This record gives sequence, C-alpha cells and structure tokens, in this order.
Amino acid sequence: MIGHDVVVTVLEVRPDLVRIGINAPRDVEVHREEVFIEVQQANRSAASPSPQAVEALAAGLRDAEAPAPSKPDADPAG
Amino acid sequence: MTATLVDLPTLDLGGSLIGFPQAHRFALVRVTPDSEVLFRLTALDIERLEFVAAAPYPFFPAYAPEIDDATAQRLELADSHDAMLLVLLTVGPTLAATTANLLAPIVVNVNTRRAAQVTLAGDGYPLKAPLAPMAPTPRAPRPAPPHALQQAGQGVAL
Repeated sequence: MIGHDVVVTVLEVRPDLVRIGINAPRDVEVHREEVFIEVQQANRSAASPSPQAVEALAAGLRDAEAPAPSKPDADPAG
Repeated sequence: MTATLVDLPTLDLGGSLIGFPQAHRFALVRVTPDSEVLFRLTALDIERLEFVAAAPYPFFPAYAPEIDDATAQRLELADSHDAMLLVLLTVGPTLAATTANLLAPIVVNVNTRRAAQVTLAGDGYPLKAPLAPMAPTPRAPRPAPPHALQQAGQGVAL
C-alpha cells in the first residue's frame, strides 16, 4: 500500500520480467517512469519558445495554408 | 481599455502538465487573430511560462487517440463532442524543425474548460512528430472512408 488508497501488487515474477499492478483512485495518475521522464523533457523543451520562433512558425504556417482552399465543408448529404 | 487576462478563455490543467505541477490555469489565445490551428497557452500561475499548441487535425488527420475512462471521468467527459484535442509544439528554428507531441496531448472539456495532459502510453504515438509538411488539402473532392467524417470533427474517441 502507498498511502491509504494505492495498492501495488506483484502480478508475475519471471527470470527476465516482473509485472507490477498498481491500483489507484481515478484522480491519481500512474505513469511509467521512463515515459514520465520523456514527456517531462519534451514539455520542458516545449516551454516558453522565443517570440521570434513563434512568429516565424505562425508565418510559415500561414504561407503553407495560403494556397489551399478554406476548410472543406461537411458532406452536404450527411 | 485593453483586454485583461480575465477576459481570455482560461483552461484549468489541474497541474497535469508533466514537469509543471504548479501550473494550473492557462490562458488560451490564438497566436494570430486569423489562426485556427496555432494557440498560445500562457500560464497564469507561473510567471513567464508559455507553450505553443496546435489543433492536430490539419497536420495529423489520422490522429484519433482514444481517451481512457479515468481521464474521461476526471474531465467529466460524457460525449466525445465535448472534447477538444491540442498538441504541444516544440518550436524549432524552422518550421521543419518544429515537432508536435502526439504521445501526450492535452484533452479539453470545452464546456467546463477543464483540461489534462494525457499520456497515451502503449499506442505508439510519437513524442516528437515533425509538424511539416502540412497535410495537403485534396483539390478535388474524393470519396472519403466512412470513418473520415468522424475524425474531421474535433472530438476524440472515448
């Protein structure tokens, strides 16, 4: 048990593998550490880009969007 | 009078942004007034913290992640039409160097403006998907597969 409401269970033990089950309340997020760390790093590198880079991106996308027609309408038959 | 942050739509991410547990409230604004795909997420609880997010559909038309029940319940999402997806961008020096995080998108309940970053572990979505080139818009209408219209909405599968 972790705290009052998180239950950790060893589901399976093999020579090359241990499977762990985690039962937690819905408001507790459970992440595998390596995925958590990857996303954390990605979030950090995404944080607070320079205003110039954002402007360049917006301009680049505007140029890419410009030749295309506006959003296709929904299927009139639908 | 200039607009204050209070006038802007605010999302409550509830500290779910991994690495930024103190950041709860974010102002969501278009990067340019006419942009329908590019947004700024500006933290209201932490100074000088900002992200750039995109609506994924124009770039990744096939991107239709399934949101797990726990997240749907946490965000009180009863209907996929109430959900909007945003993906965080890592803005590079060029468009070609800009990537989108498809592994951990932000799911928004458009009614309550509660939102959460959701890690889609196991689905094989990339953490750094190149943003460019933009999905080409077909010039002539083509028969769409039956599920295409569903994906064309902003909703996500629940």
